[in-house]
Amino acid sequence: MHLPLLPSERLRRGNFAPPDGPLALVEKQRGRMVLVAVDALALADGVAPGLTLADARARLPDLAVMPHDPAADAQLLEWLAEGCDRYTPMVMAVPPAGLVLDITGCSHIYRGEAGLADDLHRRLVRLGLTAQLALADTPDAALALAVHDMAEVGDLPVTALAVDESVHLALRRAGLLTIARLSRQHRPALAARFGEALVMLLARLTGEIDVHIVPRRPPAAIEAERRFATPLAQSEAALAVIEALAVRAGLDMAALDLGGRRFDVALFRSDGHVARLSVETAAPVRDPKLLIRLLRERIGALADPLDPGFGYDLIRLSVPVTAPMLAQQLQLSGGSLADSEIGALVDRLGARLGRGRVRRLVAADSHIPEQAAFDLPVADAAGIAWPAVQPGEPPLRPIKLFDPPQPIQVIAEVPDGPPRRFRWRRRLHEVRAHEGPERIAAEWWRRADGAGLTRDYYRVEDGEGRRFWLFRHGLYGSEKLQPGWYLHGLFA
Amino acid sequence: MTAGFAELAAATHFSFLRGASSPADMVQAAMALGHAGIGIADRNTVAGVVRAHVALREAVEAAAADGLALPVFKLIVGARLVFADGTPDIIAYPANRRGWGHLCRLLTLGNRRATKGDCILAFGDLVEFSDDLLLIMLPSDDGAPPLAELANAAPGRVWLGAAMPRAGPDKRRLHGLAGLADAAGVPLVAINAPLYATPEQRRLHDILTCIAEKTTLEAAGKRLQANAERHLKTPDEMARLFQGHPGAIAETGRILRCIGFSLDQLRYEYPNEPIPAGHSPQGWLETLTLQKARERWPDGIPPRIMALLTDEFRIIAKAGYAPYFLTVHDIVAFAQGRGILCQGRGSAANSAVCFVLGITAVDPGKHNLLFSRFISEERKEPPDIDVDFEHERREEVMQYVYERYGRDRAAIVATVIHYRPRSAVREVGKVLGLSEDVTARLTGTVWGSFAGHMEKKRFAESGFDPDAPEIARLGDLVGQILRFPRHLSQHVGGFVLTRDRLDETVPIHNAAMVDRTFIEWDKDDIDALGLMKVDVLALGMLSCIRKAFVMLETHLGRQLTLDNVPDQDGDVYDMLCRGDSIGVFQIESRAQMNMLPRLRPREFYDLVIQVAIVRPGPIQGDMVHPYLRRRQGRETVEFPSPAPPHDPDELRGVLGKTLGVPLFQEQAMKLAITAANFTPSEANQLRRAMATFRNVGTMQDFEAKMVEGMVARGYERDFAERCFRQIQGFGSYGFPESHAIAFARLVWVSSWLKHHYPAVFAAALLNSQPMGFYAPAQIVRDAREHGVEIRAIDINDSFWDNHIERNGTAMAALRLGFRQITGFREVWADRIVAARPYDSLESLARRAGLPPRALRLLADADACGSLGLDRRSAAWEALRTPDAELPLFAASGAAELGAEPDADLPLLTPGEQVAADYQTIRLSLKHHPMALIRPAFAAEKVLTCAEFAAARNGRRVKVAGVVLVRQRPGNGNAIFLTLEDESGVANVVIWARLFEIYRRPIMAARLMLVEGEVQRSPEGVVHLMASRVHDRSLALDLLSATHESRPPLARADEFIHPDQPSAHHVRRGGHPRDVRLLPAREKRILPPSRDFH
Repeated sequence: MHLPLLPSERLRRGNFAPPDGPLALVEKQRGRMVLVAVDALALADGVAPGLTLADARARLPDLAVMPHDPAADAQLLEWLAEGCDRYTPMVMAVPPAGLVLDITGCSHIYRGEAGLADDLHRRLVRLGLTAQLALADTPDAALALAVHDMAEVGDLPVTALAVDESVHLALRRAGLLTIARLSRQHRPALAARFGEALVMLLARLTGEIDVHIVPRRPPAAIEAERRFATPLAQSEAALAVIEALAVRAGLDMAALDLGGRRFDVALFRSDGHVARLSVETAAPVRDPKLLIRLLRERIGALADPLDPGFGYDLIRLSVPVTAPMLAQQLQLSGGSLADSEIGALVDRLGARLGRGRVRRLVAADSHIPEQAAFDLPVADAAGIAWPAVQPGEPPLRPIKLFDPPQPIQVIAEVPDGPPRRFRWRRRLHEVRAHEGPERIAAEWWRRADGAGLTRDYYRVEDGEGRRFWLFRHGLYGSEKLQPGWYLHGLFA
Repeated sequence: MTAGFAELAAATHFSFLRGASSPADMVQAAMALGHAGIGIADRNTVAGVVRAHVALREAVEAAAADGLALPVFKLIVGARLVFADGTPDIIAYPANRRGWGHLCRLLTLGNRRATKGDCILAFGDLVEFSDDLLLIMLPSDDGAPPLAELANAAPGRVWLGAAMPRAGPDKRRLHGLAGLADAAGVPLVAINAPLYATPEQRRLHDILTCIAEKTTLEAAGKRLQANAERHLKTPDEMARLFQGHPGAIAETGRILRCIGFSLDQLRYEYPNEPIPAGHSPQGWLETLTLQKARERWPDGIPPRIMALLTDEFRIIAKAGYAPYFLTVHDIVAFAQGRGILCQGRGSAANSAVCFVLGITAVDPGKHNLLFSRFISEERKEPPDIDVDFEHERREEVMQYVYERYGRDRAAIVATVIHYRPRSAVREVGKVLGLSEDVTARLTGTVWGSFAGHMEKKRFAESGFDPDAPEIARLGDLVGQILRFPRHLSQHVGGFVLTRDRLDETVPIHNAAMVDRTFIEWDKDDIDALGLMKVDVLALGMLSCIRKAFVMLETHLGRQLTLDNVPDQDGDVYDMLCRGDSIGVFQIESRAQMNMLPRLRPREFYDLVIQVAIVRPGPIQGDMVHPYLRRRQGRETVEFPSPAPPHDPDELRGVLGKTLGVPLFQEQAMKLAITAANFTPSEANQLRRAMATFRNVGTMQDFEAKMVEGMVARGYERDFAERCFRQIQGFGSYGFPESHAIAFARLVWVSSWLKHHYPAVFAAALLNSQPMGFYAPAQIVRDAREHGVEIRAIDINDSFWDNHIERNGTAMAALRLGFRQITGFREVWADRIVAARPYDSLESLARRAGLPPRALRLLADADACGSLGLDRRSAAWEALRTPDAELPLFAASGAAELGAEPDADLPLLTPGEQVAADYQTIRLSLKHHPMALIRPAFAAEKVLTCAEFAAARNGRRVKVAGVVLVRQRPGNGNAIFLTLEDESGVANVVIWARLFEIYRRPIMAARLMLVEGEVQRSPEGVVHLMASRVHDRSLALDLLSATHESRPPLARADEFIHPDQPSAHHVRRGGHPRDVRLLPAREKRILPPSRDFH
């Protein structure tokens, strides 16, 4: 099956694109914006992939434009492939927009191959996808026919063969435009000119040799599964099975000096539904106890608890992501394990509360003090370091800032002298020492007027040794007649 | 309490992407703020200092002219040395001329170490060249600067620069620096190191920073400056900032006083290579000239020439320009010795001296050109002679110059590459976070790359509201960044030569091309300082003419040179009057071809005018039609005259030769002097202001002065305004009479060749490609129309170059050469020629040792006709012919390829043949594509171009053809298109408003159908005034399922290719019909191709 409009339909499905009007997805190629995909509306108006954006705009001024996102397309294709598990386990995704299903012996439920194709087509239409389906004896032929939306292999253009552009060109120049025409050529003559690969591809397309597809879900490095003649109807029983599987997987990993970074559990229900659970860890793990605890927490945090329904007939534990892990020994001091203990805590909190809810503060690249830090999920924050403080320098910024800064009354010299005394919360402070100003201008590009007030920050100390961080808001005279003053933070 | 402060660390926009103000702005701002002086120091360069120097000079002159006294202001020039070895930056100012030499050599050393645009310096280099330099060390954040070390190397000439950037701990830092300075026994000097003149320019500086960092404002973070403090500050503010250290302020004055160097001290001295020992330059010039004159006129020098020479000798002697003429002669003599064609042009080139010395081929005795008019005795500028050489052999001349004068004394002038509207919008847009989509739309509406500035209406044209904040901001910033230098590059061919080391006058860089070096100053800087420049330029037509001369000599035994081509020949003028000028130098453009039947040239000077009249100057000054009317006798020749008491005939001398209408740049300048009372130096300033857009602000002053000046003397305002617009139109494309005369000679020679030897001329043109206006297809077609037999490329007959073959009649035939095959190589051609003849493709492959790619190209180009193989069977055969260079194959000797069953390939249709021809050799001798598509168009009552040319005036017609050229000249009110079909060409005019409606078909169509009205001028020039335009490119693709047919555009097409794939190129390379875009239930997008053949 081939999905010619996959990218635009993906956007429409997700409501990422304007609902009506033509749509195109663009990408920068050799310095120009080029259309890589369009929707049916644009196509109907003669705007097709390959045009430059400028050109397309000239034809269709109201063309909506979104960036091309091959990763998202691939994701959608994968998702569709997953769904096709219902027809056959032999599913192969052929990016950017193709799926090949080996339905040998799978079509009886659908009253034959055509019935299966119909069912698939109906489901795709329901998903808002335009699909071209074709049935053929070999995967190559089926995909080529779907892409070109044809019924006979002989009618296919030679471009259906996955060979170099130069070969296509040579074939076209020889006047061999279709597969039928090409097949009539003397095969050794073809091989002498274009190599065995072409002859092989041709044979695969015409069904002279058969090949099998490579199913898309590659076997994981470590896998353990158990099938049940009588489906398991209880979650606890299923958990016990998973624990047993975890022990088995742990032994396998230990033998290889590996630990798992990700664990997938697939619970196949007898009615065809597949429940999948997965757990990720910050450090490689193979301890079954730890694993089962994480899984239990994961299950406990599920929005919709596991429902065994009529019971599971197959449970599979796979470890798709592994990392080297040597046998570990506790150190006497325990110090070097501190990190891993924090890691374990973060794993547990993350498993229970959700990965996005355990966060860490990181520095942001901005002159504006209140924008100079923000928080990120711990996993994403790794590797972002705070800038080092120069030795001997006092802290230039307080640890906590008032939000919003607190207005104060200040006596200071004009135009840009330091504060002499100030009143905060009805209390007067005499400034005994100061440093500054640290002048920070506004981010003009964020403002409609392109200006904004400059701040003059001072670190000051009052008669009692308390230290404050305050600023004048606006340059005297040039920006503001009477600049206001604010207290932005206290130094410890 | 003004302490007398001078900013001594000012950077300009020649600190690329770091400084945000021009040198002139910096100088003017410092003067306005009351600084005692300014020091300009850019990063490892002195590229901007001449501009600062000129800005100061002009300010002083302007003040003097207004009778004002300026406060004392001193400009010192130097560079900020940025080291590659971790040394903190050091600003260096030469104390005297010797110090300047040291600085230049130091920078040259760093430049020559780097491959491109970089300058690699180490601390040790500075120590070596530190004599006579004053050094200000700038502290860096990491570690203590090597202050004591520097103070030892340059005792008493080192300062520590301290700035108060308002970063917070300023005072603590200043205190620390004072301690450091004390410890090293070095004074502290106050600086602010400004990057721009006024605080408002911070925004621009932020933009530049983002461009340099390749980021956006949103993402730039701390890479931007925290505040707007890096501007020039008032002396008061500086004094306030340095309250505790008044000495640091006072030191700026002391540094100023220590410096006794100004750029005025750079004295130019001519190299003396071309002068034999024992001769004075003037004496040798006269001896040499008279000797050559006697050779040319063995029976005695004509008195008229002798008189000219005597007069010119006097002027040259007075100005001391003899070495210049000798230098140019030296270069020209070298080229002539090598058989390289060349010709001089420029203000001094039309002198009798240049003619006699062989620098030009224009006889001044015949053309009444007064030399003294062209060497201005008032302006102290050196004379100007540009010499054009054959474009393919100019490099030989350039290397000769390097060799003769040495790399330390000869280098090419720089060209400052500026931001253009297109690049400015793109880069600023990117920084502002506008998507590529938006900036592409904005730049997409800029037609041509030479739009001088980004007009507001361009923004509006692209559908954006110019007042929306983002767009207004973009427009504002783009306006500021335009004309900013981006980087330095080498000038096309301007050489600076000196007697002494050039690198003690100006730093030298490696150019991107190997074996080239260039200096940091551009030609205006050179002019401003009075240095000498010789332009060694490349001209394609000279290559073409030489190739034609060589062919004539070998095939016909006729020896021709630029100055012995017969210069009166009515038949040649008849040809030109018909507008039959494809391939002829300069007058082959559409506009020129339309002008020819109107102007009807009959003598040489008519060609001079023809060359000059179709230019932005006369067109924008609305001078073309008045001239034509007068020439055709439809208007009386009269001279604009002032009111009494002025001489009513004062313009007769200026405009006499051009029937009272100013056409040349000199005339416009002379007009400003005579009619508007400009001084010669003002007129010159005006010309320069126009050419370089340098002083955009002063333009209105000039306009007022000129127009009001003329009106005040009693000229009509309309005439005065037109004259000014004309000067504006000259802009950087000013076209003086002296250039027009030099070009007209080449026009004549090429016309003469085209008329008398069309086959030779066409072959020479093709062999000199790329050059000129037209693609090979049009050149070949034109030759055919002139009765030349064109023979196809063949492996047994062709050479690399196109050449002439005898055919039965007197007319020679043109055999196309292998060079016409796209992607073919000269070495392959040579091997083919060496091992001829061939009887099979296999023997060709083996004996000529051709790689498979070469064989395939030959087969696809249908060059195997003499083997009895058509294109398709040859290609099929070539595919299996193994690589001749494989050792195994070579060892086995004659490994015959086995016989194969007949491949039974389908026969090529005519459409496929034509498409394949276009794809491989970009022209077809078999058919015109339109001839094959004609039946479809005939049904639509579309006229052929020939029928159109014969249609009566005012008739409404349809014409279709392949698009050759699209142009939007001058003011852009109209678009000119040329369509071509099997019968000829049709010229289409589209008004701008129609263009807005039909933008897409006009921009995208390769094959176009135009409906409109026939407009026939009295001279018989026929245009189609378009009313509707249709893109019919699809029909071209239907010619062939097997080849893309893309008839080439002429080289002159101005339209910036969106390289448009038509609606069907969906997957790479797929043919339209291979690809189905819609589900099968939809109808097919394209009909099958067999409808057409």
